[in-house]
Amino acid sequence: MKHIAIVEDETAIRENYSEMLSKQGYQVSGYCDRISAELAFTEKLPDLAIVDIGLGDEIDGGFTLCQTLRGLSKTLPIIFLTARDSEIDTVCGLRMGADDYLTKDISLPHLAARIAALFRRMAALEVPVVAENIINRGPLKIDANRMQVSWHDHTIDLTITEFWMVHALAQRPGHVKSRNDLMSDAKIFVDDSTITSHVKRIRKKFIKVDADFNCIDTIYGMGYRWEHS
Amino acid sequence: MRRAGFGLRSQVIVLSSFLLLLPWLGYEYVWEMEKYLRKGQEKTLVGTTRALATALHERPKLFDSQASFLEQVVKGRDLYAYNINGPIKLDGQFNEWQLYRPLFWSYDQHYLHPANLDHHGNDLSFSHMVGKFERHLYAVFEVQDDHLFYRPANSLSVTRNDHLKIAFQSEVGELKTYIIAPKNDGWITAYDEMDLRPTPQIQGHFQHTAQGYNIELRLPLTMLGKKLGFAIVDWDGKDQTVKTMSTSNLNDLNQLGSVLVPSPEIERIVKGMGHSGSRIWVVDNHHRVLAQSGDIKHADGVWANSLEDAKQSKSWWESIEHTYLHPLYYLILTRPADEFIDETYDNAALEGPHIRAALSGQAHSHWRLTPDKKAVILSAAYPIWIDDQVMGAVIAEETTNGVRSIRNKALEKLFTVILAVMLIGTLTLFFFATRISSRIRRLRDLAEQAIDPQGRVLGDIESSQAGDEIGDLSRSFANIVGRLGGYTHYLENMSSRLSHELRTPVAVVRSSLESLQLDELNTEQKKYVERASEGVSRLNKIITTMSEATRLEQSIAHADRQRFDLTHVMSGCMQGYQFTYPQQAFTLDICKQSIELDGVPEFIAQLLDKIISNALEFATPETPIAVSLSENDKHALLVISNYGPALPEKIGEHIFDSMVSVRTQAMQKQPHLGLGLYIARLICDFHHGKIMARNTEHGVEMSLTLPKI
Repeated sequence: MKHIAIVEDETAIRENYSEMLSKQGYQVSGYCDRISAELAFTEKLPDLAIVDIGLGDEIDGGFTLCQTLRGLSKTLPIIFLTARDSEIDTVCGLRMGADDYLTKDISLPHLAARIAALFRRMAALEVPVVAENIINRGPLKIDANRMQVSWHDHTIDLTITEFWMVHALAQRPGHVKSRNDLMSDAKIFVDDSTITSHVKRIRKKFIKVDADFNCIDTIYGMGYRWEHS
Repeated sequence: MRRAGFGLRSQVIVLSSFLLLLPWLGYEYVWEMEKYLRKGQEKTLVGTTRALATALHERPKLFDSQASFLEQVVKGRDLYAYNINGPIKLDGQFNEWQLYRPLFWSYDQHYLHPANLDHHGNDLSFSHMVGKFERHLYAVFEVQDDHLFYRPANSLSVTRNDHLKIAFQSEVGELKTYIIAPKNDGWITAYDEMDLRPTPQIQGHFQHTAQGYNIELRLPLTMLGKKLGFAIVDWDGKDQTVKTMSTSNLNDLNQLGSVLVPSPEIERIVKGMGHSGSRIWVVDNHHRVLAQSGDIKHADGVWANSLEDAKQSKSWWESIEHTYLHPLYYLILTRPADEFIDETYDNAALEGPHIRAALSGQAHSHWRLTPDKKAVILSAAYPIWIDDQVMGAVIAEETTNGVRSIRNKALEKLFTVILAVMLIGTLTLFFFATRISSRIRRLRDLAEQAIDPQGRVLGDIESSQAGDEIGDLSRSFANIVGRLGGYTHYLENMSSRLSHELRTPVAVVRSSLESLQLDELNTEQKKYVERASEGVSRLNKIITTMSEATRLEQSIAHADRQRFDLTHVMSGCMQGYQFTYPQQAFTLDICKQSIELDGVPEFIAQLLDKIISNALEFATPETPIAVSLSENDKHALLVISNYGPALPEKIGEHIFDSMVSVRTQAMQKQPHLGLGLYIARLICDFHHGKIMARNTEHGVEMSLTLPKI
């Protein structure tokens, strides 16, 4: 039974999520502040942590906790689930090494899907790569099971949201995906500018590996498409 | 809201015109000083006269004993020898006497013997005066006689013809009479009437004229005592009455008129006083001048000497003063005149209140103006006492030129100082006012720039460090703008803060509802849960929209600008809209050539989204939305217009402010917070462009100008 830790100062939310995840068959433990969470984690690491950034009096308690967790384990999936949707917080959270950054308006099924996906990926990493599950688009390779993307055999480190977006775009190259399409594919509900910044982040990650990367086209007024020249 | 008016500077300049009172004050002050100086001069002059009088008291010898016993002297009878200033040429011509013409005394029928009131002047009358030059007494007669009878050449008698009779008291006190009866024009001889001996001391000249004849003669003062008289005897033939016209009775020593010859002794004493810088007269108690010295033209008073201009080379400042300032001052001031004309006095009868007062025993001084009004003359008189009797008076006269020069000098200095003070004062005030008003103007400009026409706070006012009220005002302005800015910021962030605060409770509701939905619910419950979910997702949408502007602001802050083609973005977007809203007609007028802009294309697309969705929302159904893109030299012009309701008149630019919505209740199908056009404005500002909304005939037109690269 997978063990999920929820660190959230808002009791109602913590308990709602705990109950919902328990019903899904996970073992859930909730912590209301950083200190108690850290104490528990030093004793035993969970399999996945869902962390709020603002914890009680600590505005950035979640970030600190995330760093502590990353110190304890390199591979432990960490999801930020927060009310803070500013660009800065998002960038910050992802730099801390979180696997995903979600705002609290995400629906429970979406959250559950993400958690499931993360566990699937963890499982997939332990078994050898299965060739059928790999989508090849020229230099782009997508391993849907491991949720890994590589470009010219360089692994691109993507969050789940980003991975699902790339996956949606690259599945049908040349087809325009509107922002709403991307939203539903990535199982998030955000506004257009958030999608835009997600796409920007994805581009940046590819460009880091290949300066000439320009496969994601912006079609103004429509959306994006994967165009492999 | 500028009202042109009476600025601080003008006000201060007007106030500084009070400085103009300074010259007046100075003038008043100098006037006072002049009064004192004049008083001083008066006292000094009285002192001078007293000093001189002191030298003359109790010296009866100096005075004419004869005249002093007279009750009065009578002009015509009592003669006065005027001082003649130059030598007289005895030639029967009166050239040298022209100056003294006014002093001639005319003798008419009143002096005639025997008396005849019907006597005519042409028959016999004469004008006459006596004068003294050096040691001689001069006498001159201008006789009118219609029949001139010379003494016949062979006549022994000297009286059977026209002749002049001279009578005087000799030094020893006896009566001496002389006859002058010329045989022809030319030199004359005087004969002693007693023995008809010629008297060579008496010399003269006879000259006939058209009216009669002129006689000029002189006799040594040594012969002369205190009495003198002349008679012109007109002989018109044997049968005619001999007419005698005389100055007094020549036959009786007691009745003979007195003669006053200015006393040489007194003259000597007075001469010594001539260096006092005044004109000095000594008069006897009959107002007749016994001695005089000095010249009024040089009598400037004691002050004059102190004012002698040093004739050294002037310093540059003095020459400036002299060249530029003095002409200015002397428009107001008057220089004491070096040339002025004083009245001519009849020395036989000096007049004036001061003399009258002195002769009655009172020292007195008196001011008068010369007839040509060019100078003021101060006279002082002091009595001379002999045996408790006033025997005469010393009179000293000075012009006030000395005092006036001093006053002018003082005023020159004063004016220069005052001019300097006024100039410096006015300039200082002017600069002060300029500085103050410029500081206030700067503050006003800052205050106006701090808040844009739409009333948004643009930035802080730099508060001044000055410790005065303006600095204070600036600080309080800065404070106000700061607080206003804070408040505006608070309002603009309200939405993002609200959305942030609402997220958590919404998440609670949502997760709770979702948990409910996972359970088995009956239809009734399902209905309510679904409604609640709907409400929550609407809330969610609102929250998302609310934070959109904030997120945009953040991403604007971190945006990487790039060159992009606006035409490309526009046409792409428009295609998208046509695809997305197939039921809406668009009339496009987008230029073909590319328009290069510097900025972020995604933002522009977002801006278009907002404006187009706005237009869509307000557009009357079945009417097209017109979109046009054109360019001029520097700007790209983007105009989007739709048919529909007009904007409220008052809203103006506020339509682009945060949380402003002009939708009617009926239009509120979707949550709307009035953030769309605010976002459009943010993006426009980021691209240094301008966005405007205006009403057209049938609807509303949004126009954007974006600067090209």
